[in-house]
Amino acid sequence: MRTLLRFIQKYFNLLLFLILEAIAIFLIVRGSYYQQSRFVQMNRQITGFIYDRVDGTREYLSLKKVNRQLALENMQLRNRVEQLSGSLDTARVLRVHKEPYWYYYVPAKIVHNSVYKQYNYITIDKGKKDGVFRDMGVISDQGLVGIVLESSGNFSTVIPVINRDFRLSVKIKSNNYAGILFWEGDSPLYAGLSEIPFHVELTVGDTIVTSGYSAIFPDGIEVGQIASFSLESGNFYDIRVKLFTEYQSLFHINVIRNYRQDEQINLEQNARR
Amino acid sequence: MRMLTRNIIRFIVVVLVQVLVLDNIMLHGYLVPYFYLLFLLLMPFETPRWIQLLAGFLLGLSVDLFENTPGMHTAATVLVAYLRPYLLNLLAPRDGYEPETYPRIHYYGFSWFLKYTLALVVIHHFALFYLEVFQLRDFFSTLLRVFLSSILSTATIVLSQFFVFRE
Repeated sequence: MRTLLRFIQKYFNLLLFLILEAIAIFLIVRGSYYQQSRFVQMNRQITGFIYDRVDGTREYLSLKKVNRQLALENMQLRNRVEQLSGSLDTARVLRVHKEPYWYYYVPAKIVHNSVYKQYNYITIDKGKKDGVFRDMGVISDQGLVGIVLESSGNFSTVIPVINRDFRLSVKIKSNNYAGILFWEGDSPLYAGLSEIPFHVELTVGDTIVTSGYSAIFPDGIEVGQIASFSLESGNFYDIRVKLFTEYQSLFHINVIRNYRQDEQINLEQNARR
Repeated sequence: MRMLTRNIIRFIVVVLVQVLVLDNIMLHGYLVPYFYLLFLLLMPFETPRWIQLLAGFLLGLSVDLFENTPGMHTAATVLVAYLRPYLLNLLAPRDGYEPETYPRIHYYGFSWFLKYTLALVVIHHFALFYLEVFQLRDFFSTLLRVFLSSILSTATIVLSQFFVFRE
C-alpha cells in the first residue's frame, strides 16, 4: 500500500497528464455523439447567447451589404410572383393535404460560423421553439448551405457543406445524373462530387443542384458549378465543384421545413423491410 | 492572491479575444492565429505542475466549447502544459530563473521569448492540426498548415507583448 502511495506521489503529474489527455481523446473519438449530449446542448444556449450579443455589432456594420442583397432577392421574388400569378389564373389548385404547403421556410440569422477547420459548424438563432429540428435543410439566397444537426430551444447547429462529415445527394442540372456531394477539407470555396459514371458527358460550368432524393431539400436548389473534372480512378469522375455559397460572408439563411419528410422516410423504411 | 485573480482575468480575456475576435480572422481561408496559448506561456515559473495541467485542460475545454470542436484543443493544451516545464529547463539561462520574475520579454529578452513561444506554439499546432484531420492521408498539406499557422500565432503572441500585456 505504501509503495503504491509513493508511486502515485512520484508520478502524480504524469498520471494527471495521462488522465486529462485520455478525457480529451475520449471526447474526440466520441465525436458526433458529443454533439448531441445534454452538456453540449446546455452549453450551446450559453455560447449562443454570447455570440448573439457580439453579433449585434457585426450585423450593424454589414447593414449596407445585407440591404443590397435583400433588395436584390426581393426583386427576384417579385418577378417570380408575376410569372406565377399568370399561371395561377388558369390552373385550379386542389388541396388534398392537410398542410397548405409542402415546404415552409424559416428565416434565421447566423450567430457563429467557422470556415477554416476540417469540421466546420454554423450556429443559427432559431431552434425548436421556431420549428427548427434535426435533419432540416438550410439554404441562403446564394444556394445550398447545409443541414441542421441538432437544435436546442433557441439555437441550432448546422453542418455545412464544408464539413468532412457532410454527404448529400445532388445531380447535374442538364442531364439529371445524381452523385454524392462531399468536402475534401482544403478550401471553403470548393467541394467534391463523386459517383458520376464515366460515360456521362460533362462540361466545365455545368450547374449542380440538389436531387430531392433525401427528403431534406426540394429538388433544384443550386449548389455550385463544375470547376474541373478528371477520370483517374476508373469508372467514376473526380469532380471539383465551385460552391455558390460564400461561407465567409454568409449571414441570413433559411431553414426548410418539409411537411412530408416523415411520410417519405416512413414509406421508404417500410419498403426496405 | 493577487497573482491568482490576475491569472483568472487573463484566462477570461484570452479566451474571449480568441473566440470573439481572432476566430473571425481567416487568412487564405483557413489560417487562424491561436493566441489563447498566451495564458499558459505567462503562468509563473513556480506554479505547481498539477495546477498547470488543470489550467491547460480548462483552457482547451473552454475554447473547444466555443468552437464546437470535441476535445481537440483540450488535448493540445494539456500536452503543452505538460511539456512547458521541460522546455523552461532547456531554455534556462546559465544561473537559472531569478525569483520574483515571470516568463516575459521584459525579464528575459526578445530572443528568449521568441524561442520559448515558437517551440510551444509548434507543439500545440502539431497536436491540434493532426488531431483535427485524424489521419495521415493529407500529411504534407497539414504540415504546411502547421508551420504557416505557427508563424502567425507566434507573431500574434509576441506582438501582443509589446502592446497590451506589457505589465
